[in-house]
Amino acid sequence: MVFKSHIRPVWPAVVVSWILMCCLPYAALAADMGNCLLCHKYPGLSRIDKEGGMRLLYVNEEIFNKSVHAKVKCEGCHTDIKKIPHDPAKKVDCLTECHILEPSTEQKFSHKDVKTYLDQSVHSTIDKDGKEKKFPEDMPTCKDCHDNPLYRPLAFVKKVRAGVAEESLGRCRVCHKKEEFIFRFYNHITTRLHKSRSPLNIAQSCGRCHDDQELVARHNLSTRAMYSYGETFHGKAANLLDERVPDCLDCHVVKGKSVHQMYSNDDVRSSTHPTNRGQICNTVDCHPQASPKLGSYNVHAEFSLKQSPAEYYFTVFFIILTGGTLLPLMGIMFLDMLRRLFPNATITGRKK
Amino acid sequence: MLKKIFTNLYILVFMGVVGVFTVMIWNLTFAHILEEFHHRKEVAAIDLEKTGKQTKDEKQSFEQVILESEKRVKHYLGYRVLEEQHIEGHFHHIGFDIGPDKRSYCSTCHGDMPHDSVKDIRAFLNMHAFFVACQTCHVRLEDEEKTNAFKWYDRKSGELVGSPVRDAMPGTYQAKIIPFVREEGKLVRIDSQEKIDFAGEYRKMEKQLTEGQKSRAKKMIHKIISKKPVMCEECHQKEKPLLPLAELGYPKERIDSITGTEVVGMIKNYTKFYMPKMLHPGEGKTQPAEQ
Repeated sequence: MVFKSHIRPVWPAVVVSWILMCCLPYAALAADMGNCLLCHKYPGLSRIDKEGGMRLLYVNEEIFNKSVHAKVKCEGCHTDIKKIPHDPAKKVDCLTECHILEPSTEQKFSHKDVKTYLDQSVHSTIDKDGKEKKFPEDMPTCKDCHDNPLYRPLAFVKKVRAGVAEESLGRCRVCHKKEEFIFRFYNHITTRLHKSRSPLNIAQSCGRCHDDQELVARHNLSTRAMYSYGETFHGKAANLLDERVPDCLDCHVVKGKSVHQMYSNDDVRSSTHPTNRGQICNTVDCHPQASPKLGSYNVHAEFSLKQSPAEYYFTVFFIILTGGTLLPLMGIMFLDMLRRLFPNATITGRKK
Repeated sequence: MLKKIFTNLYILVFMGVVGVFTVMIWNLTFAHILEEFHHRKEVAAIDLEKTGKQTKDEKQSFEQVILESEKRVKHYLGYRVLEEQHIEGHFHHIGFDIGPDKRSYCSTCHGDMPHDSVKDIRAFLNMHAFFVACQTCHVRLEDEEKTNAFKWYDRKSGELVGSPVRDAMPGTYQAKIIPFVREEGKLVRIDSQEKIDFAGEYRKMEKQLTEGQKSRAKKMIHKIISKKPVMCEECHQKEKPLLPLAELGYPKERIDSITGTEVVGMIKNYTKFYMPKMLHPGEGKTQPAEQ
């Protein structure tokens, strides 16, 4: 009897809770199981750290729910946080295993493979002989290239356009009943059917290091990569938000490999190694009829006497030709207008 | 006469267009050569500097540390463009901007994130500073000065506005709460134009002032500041919260949340609060205050 009297008030609460959970929108079912947003929803939650850096502790829930990590609980990455209020959080280790199961192996999900790729790549802090490279602090870590990746869904029903196709969702709903599952699955798949970031955003990301003149000099690199990319037709189209043009990754990553498997130009595994370069441009998506020679043109030619003397003098010639013709023309037109405005004026005074 | 005016106007407009084109052509042609020349000099300087140097130069300029560390970035997602401040090493997206508080004469010196001394709660205090004016907590109004009147003012214009609470997500308001005091029988906001002008004048003339004058000016500006600021539990309580939350437009569920066990319980978990010494120079190190 005593047992029954204790159990009776509990089960209605469980049923009510379950019904409430089912009625909640998908956003409320997302990562914030620990109610971290009680504090972290406030944009002013911030401080200045010891080094003078700004530590913004705000999480925009609406945007977070549209990111690839939306299903990962806060404590999935911030593993050291066990209680609220918590001590200052430790730096997140992106290689940690989170609670999500990778569906094909049903193993806990982790980014560990990325480290394996990165350790063998040109961005590794260790050279081929296992020795630490010069300026290892210049080599990128996860957050140097990645912020929280956001979904970029695509609709394919009438034509390929950005966003979600309601028609497709209607088809999903025939078999799948959970809106949260449908939303996430649709976004997950269609985001991965094209570039995860626009060519301009990718170039900007690489440019954060590769356009840093001091870093370029420290590592004896031949070019400011984003700057010189921006000078090309591809770069100018990327600047106009064209998604079809190649960005850094299209040329510097071997097709079918991870972007983290990027090698030095003199590494035979690299897509930009002289023996492989010919295959960059003539892929089926780019210039299928092109000669392999197309890939050997100096794509990162800067307007620099030291780096590309031929291009430099060629450009100088055309600058002088264009500027030397048009600027005097503008000058003459301006003076002509001035004369029309003051028909009788002279430098010394008015004509008699 | 009218024809002449229109002709002259046409000529002036055309001259303007010619001027714009001249600048454009210059930028696309000869300016490019000049830019390359300056860049070459910059590279030569870096090359000269790095000769024989095996370590990275740790010297950092104001521009590198303060200006370049916070750039704007646009994420092109196709269906929308997300523009936000880029904070180096920051993982989560911010997604919106709240401009600086142009009315506050405190933040012109102390900045938007003024709380730093108390490690445990500095971020919480800065969070509150986002929508609560400094005077709300740092000025304890006593006796006839105490009016229990608080209103919202717009961060940009400084004008009093209606409550933003119902139209925005918690804490994302473009407005802040300011206390009102009674002067000559009238309710006036505590951050009077006179005080703003005094602080502004000090900032303008700071370099020309003697050390003594500076100290006096600072003392005058800070004279309204109370020794003991308002504590968390003075607002986060059900009985008689310092701020009239309902009058400030907070709906019942938000008031329940702010004064509920979730928040109050968390505050109680912090056992020690400290007062910053900044407001009381010369009184020694940061002192533990009452709980």
